[in-house]
Amino acid sequence: MSHERKMMNREELERIIALCESIEKRGLDPFSVNVKELLMKLRRILEEQKDLDTIILDAETLYKIAVLISLQQKWLKERASSLFIDSQLISLKITSAEPKQLAAALARSWRPIVRAEQLTPYRLRQGMEYFLMLPPRDRTYEKLPTAQEEALRILKGAEYAKDVVLEEEVRKMHEKCIMAAGSDGEVDYWSIVSADTFEETVWRAYVLSFVVSEGLADIKKNPITGEMKVVPYPSKRTREKVAAFVISLKSGEVPKALGREKG
Amino acid sequence: MEEKRDEVERAGKKIAIAASMLLFSSHRLPGVRGWELRRRLGKDYLKIIDALNNKLNSIGLRVKIMFDQPSGEQSSQDDFDKARFFVTLSEPLTVADIVAAGWSIEDVAILAAVLSYIFTKGGKAGEKEIMELLEVKFPRWKVEAAIERFIRKGYLMRIEDNMIKVGWRTLAEVDEKELLKAIMDITPPQPKEDNKENV
Repeated sequence: MSHERKMMNREELERIIALCESIEKRGLDPFSVNVKELLMKLRRILEEQKDLDTIILDAETLYKIAVLISLQQKWLKERASSLFIDSQLISLKITSAEPKQLAAALARSWRPIVRAEQLTPYRLRQGMEYFLMLPPRDRTYEKLPTAQEEALRILKGAEYAKDVVLEEEVRKMHEKCIMAAGSDGEVDYWSIVSADTFEETVWRAYVLSFVVSEGLADIKKNPITGEMKVVPYPSKRTREKVAAFVISLKSGEVPKALGREKG
Repeated sequence: MEEKRDEVERAGKKIAIAASMLLFSSHRLPGVRGWELRRRLGKDYLKIIDALNNKLNSIGLRVKIMFDQPSGEQSSQDDFDKARFFVTLSEPLTVADIVAAGWSIEDVAILAAVLSYIFTKGGKAGEKEIMELLEVKFPRWKVEAAIERFIRKGYLMRIEDNMIKVGWRTLAEVDEKELLKAIMDITPPQPKEDNKENV
């Protein structure tokens, strides 16, 4: 009998804990529970059974009831601060209002956050400076000119910027391409561009890019083999499709022609 | 004289840095924490923010500080360091402005209804009861889609047991008392005269 009673008391305590927890979790009205009644039940159970298990469960129940009382205080505070506006009243207002009226109500109380989606030129400059400061990840690229002075030194060494008539160089490169292409009408890109020195290779690639831009030649790339062919034209042609692609060169390495040079 | 000019120039530069930090950030959440401002602007960063606020006021903006925990009367330095600083409009928008910014009136109305209902329920409410309330006015699919969108934007937050609570963005942008007052001020539209005659 005593065991049965003990089990019933235990179940009752667990029920009270579950009730308090559900009110806390679901945000229900904490005044829907009679706290005084719960405390009286608790006292009765504690007087009936004084074993350790019941005392521990009783303490836990008391803690949950204390949380419920603090929720009651919070609830009262919120009600007072929201000018006693009840959810029922708000529901009525919502259902009777037009969407535009509801939108206007939010507009009255809404001050959206302002943020920029674009970089400022100052931040962009900062980013560029940071990028230039970063060391290369691959050691083989360490020889590449990273500083502006070094790039200028190469330019000066190759005399890219002085005493060179570019038009003349472009004309010579065009003639060279036509000669190399012969009857096939096309020639391997690297056989035209490759030279003994890195600087000379870059210079040839640079001049060839002008030949293509002028419409005196085209560059075709095989997407499977990666092979690139220069197709020179005897006279200027209007370019139908304009595309750009990057050709990388490693410092100190002079690429060898993939195909056989003609002529 | 020269020193004073230098000081003014330095302060101006710091205000510009503070503005760029507050307005541009790549985080998902806008704005910056107080400690980030302190690290960049120095220990007197609150004075810089105050000066920036004065400048922003003239163009209808303001710096808003959102504390992690609602503090008492006086906020400590530590509270400010942990707080989030961002820029908001200083004056409310009109419905026309909101529509021009790309929002639909119905979406804004749904947000107004959900927020006001949650506020009166003590900060959280069941998703089911919100749906039941809004279904009277809007199609269910529209309400569901809008709620999902507002959760993504941070205006609402879904918690355990299918409960919805207000999100960080609502706390930052919406004045709870003002919204409830505005909802209470709504007068139901009068039926049109023509309809009366027909009836």
